[in-house]
Amino acid sequence: MSAHPSHDHDSHDDGAVHAHISSIRLYVGIFLALIFFTVVTVGLSLIHLGPLNLAIAILIATVKAALVVTFFMHLKDDNRFNALIFVGSLLFAGVFLAYTLNDTGRRSEVERMQGAYVNDATGERAPGGPPVVERAVQPGAGAAHGGH
Amino acid sequence: MSTAHTDAAAASHDSGHSHAAHDDHGSHGPKFLAHHFDTPVQQFDTAKLGMWLFLAQELLFFAGLFVAYGIYRSWYPDDFSWASHQLDRFMGGANTIVLLFSSLTAALAVRSAQLGTRKQTSVLLLVTIVCAFGFLVIKFFEYQHKFHAGLLPGNLFNPDIHHLSASTQGLPIPAHGGSFFGIYFMMTGVHGLHVIIGIGVIFWIWLRNQRGEFTSEYWTPVDLVALYWHLVDLIWIYLFPLLYLID
Repeated sequence: MSAHPSHDHDSHDDGAVHAHISSIRLYVGIFLALIFFTVVTVGLSLIHLGPLNLAIAILIATVKAALVVTFFMHLKDDNRFNALIFVGSLLFAGVFLAYTLNDTGRRSEVERMQGAYVNDATGERAPGGPPVVERAVQPGAGAAHGGH
Repeated sequence: MSTAHTDAAAASHDSGHSHAAHDDHGSHGPKFLAHHFDTPVQQFDTAKLGMWLFLAQELLFFAGLFVAYGIYRSWYPDDFSWASHQLDRFMGGANTIVLLFSSLTAALAVRSAQLGTRKQTSVLLLVTIVCAFGFLVIKFFEYQHKFHAGLLPGNLFNPDIHHLSASTQGLPIPAHGGSFFGIYFMMTGVHGLHVIIGIGVIFWIWLRNQRGEFTSEYWTPVDLVALYWHLVDLIWIYLFPLLYLID
């Protein structure tokens, strides 16, 4: 599959780029796996599993993303520092998401104490959670699911 | 797969550097080696590092949109579910497959460039571009339907009940559907902009390949443009279930 000798990382002393060249079979196999997971995620979305649907959808998307990054983007054979940059940016995106959702999702718990959970301008409940009554029953629970 | 190991490699590394003429590009290595790099591998690693930094920045940029999505979905879960049912899963799924296939051809184009099979690289880059156009065409028809049905962002959200999905018939029109469509148009719009830019840069790399700039010793730009294209694919891998497949 490769015209180059297989010494990938050990022979940089000659200064030339020795890339690891993957086989066509590997690339096509990854592509078929990605199509398979796409079909699975569409299929599972038709089954009603409540909040689990979102978790499964994100899990499958992450498996697909990992396949793309590892094989199509060659992170498997790449400089480890590049992988650190990529994973690092994901970690910080996670921090961004977690802290922001923790704030916006629980804001009404504080506003209840402050009596500020109604939008003065419209009389509507201000964004940030279900009405006080539900909060009082189930403190800390996520937004109420009506569901279809 | 035959390998055409051609001339450019021939540039020898053993010839002594003449430091007096530093600006003389030809004197210190192969033609593709910029004079501020010592070796091709140093130039390659530097280019890859720069590209990964750019991709990390892209991820963080999209993270802002994903966080907006998370906030509004957690506030209005039922509105998001209703609005998601207005999207065409078939078109979204078709676009997923088109984009995954274009990622495959982009990866194969890099492989072909690594082997120095120039004609094949050009064909694979063109197929990638065709897929990108296909994606945009499908997206156009989706957008057209949204405009037609009044499924628009914010205050423009004014659905026409005759054009809504059968699965939501009889359900009340949600008050915050406009929030979903604001996020939908922003996320798919910015992603679509990346697809358009991708068409431009892949075409540029195709032109350079046609001019014979790349050999089995120097194919870094093909590698980098493919990395960008895979990132566009990566974003879509998350957009598809998050926007189209809400239960």
